[in-house]
Amino acid sequence: MDAPFARLTLPARIDSVPAFHEFVRLGAELAGLGPPEMDWLDLVLEEILVNIARYAYQPGTGDIEVGYAVEQPGLLLVEISDKGSAFNPLASDPPVLGGGLADRPIGGLGVFLVKNIVGSLAYRREQDRNTISFTFPGPNRGAA
Amino acid sequence: MNIEPTELEKAIVLKVVGRMDAENADDFQQACERWIAQGSRHLIADLDGLQYVSSMGLRAFLAVAQKLQSLSGSLILCGLHGLPRQVFEMTRLLSLFPVYDNLQQAIDTL
Repeated sequence: MDAPFARLTLPARIDSVPAFHEFVRLGAELAGLGPPEMDWLDLVLEEILVNIARYAYQPGTGDIEVGYAVEQPGLLLVEISDKGSAFNPLASDPPVLGGGLADRPIGGLGVFLVKNIVGSLAYRREQDRNTISFTFPGPNRGAA
Repeated sequence: MNIEPTELEKAIVLKVVGRMDAENADDFQQACERWIAQGSRHLIADLDGLQYVSSMGLRAFLAVAQKLQSLSGSLILCGLHGLPRQVFEMTRLLSLFPVYDNLQQAIDTL
């Protein structure tokens, strides 16, 4: 856990997502992760960042800070923080995955995907900041 | 993401290439809704060139499929592979759509 963190702060907007992708991909490369894993990492980041961009600072604006560290070869630790209202997205109810097409709610799948892709995943609220941390890849997401 | 429509006798094929994410998933939904508004009831999404889809993309696919089902139509998927296919499987969405390996198979069923 003592690996140095590289950090990038950008406005909490959906159009910041590509720059965060590019930034964390540098870390993934340092960790020795390959191109197939990069897309899965992009997906996890997008789901978390879009949630923050949409809800954290309503009705105002603010920033998101993303940091990464190479935990060990092949394993990246990522932390995503905002100073918005306290909210733990990981505590949301699991989505409805059964039933027919007409009954399926169209939302709620983002956090579910994140939980299925990453390794360890945690939320903490400290010093007026929300922080989500995760390790990547998780056990279900090898070099496939 | 690029969306290229082709009009067939019984359906519209929308060839989707690239990445469908929070910034552009609405473009796909709106393209589908324009065809539906013009009377199309069967849309085939050719996803052979789709490299990436996030939950915002899934939301668009679901919304379009539900709309078409309510009009006795369908959103047919073909060519799904790689990350997009695994994302559809993970969220148990695959069974909610008619899914074919390739475009010709999808066309043949109409």
